Amino acid sequence: MKWLVGLFLVVAVLVAVSALESAFAAGDEPGEYLDRRVIIWNLFFRMMTVAFTVGAVVSGTIIWLVWRFRESHPKAKPTPYEGTDW
Amino acid sequence: MGGHSNWPEWIYVGIVIALMTWVGAEAWEAERLVEHVPEDAKVIKVTGQQWFWTFEHEDGTKEIGELHVEKGKAYKFEVMATDVNHSFNIHDYVVLIDAIPGRVNTVWFAPDKVGEHDIQCREYCGLIHYNMRGKLIVEEPLS
Repeated sequence: MKWLVGLFLVVAVLVAVSALESAFAAGDEPGEYLDRRVIIWNLFFRMMTVAFTVGAVVSGTIIWLVWRFRESHPKAKPTPYEGTDW
Repeated sequence: MGGHSNWPEWIYVGIVIALMTWVGAEAWEAERLVEHVPEDAKVIKVTGQQWFWTFEHEDGTKEIGELHVEKGKAYKFEVMATDVNHSFNIHDYVVLIDAIPGRVNTVWFAPDKVGEHDIQCREYCGLIHYNMRGKLIVEEPLS
């Protein structure tokens, strides 16, 4: 499954390259000034979206993990190294 | 422990790397755009001292506590301090930079509307820090 890591790395590089291209393309026209409020607040909102999404996925995964693999779950089956006398 | 599949871990690692790369690229891009000072920006020297702001325009005109600028033009602030650390902030334009003795920090902005905005020190600098304020007055361009 290491090809998956490679795939993600390729995707990450593609995203970074497109971001770099847009960065070098903008803000150099004379007399046309960037609005720093827009840039800074947009970055903030994008980062907050990512943060809350990741937070929801991670906490959701942990909650499901704890619920699914509790000892009292109907489908729980002890692994060999845990023993079976419970 | 051996023999179990570990592909979820690799997917997790890949997602984390991709996300961190994206976040880094976005932040780098925003920082680069914000720090790219236009060539025609007019320089205003800003000096912070307990407990007021002094502004010096390119033509030598000085203002204390008030700063007059023109709409649609870019300005580069060269910010310094004479006594203790201060922080120069125009909240409405998201301008924020430390004013440090012995050092010149720069930040630029381009006001796009006529109006008045608050200038405020954002680094605790002593007894009257709370009242180390100023007024940014954006006017119609003269020429």
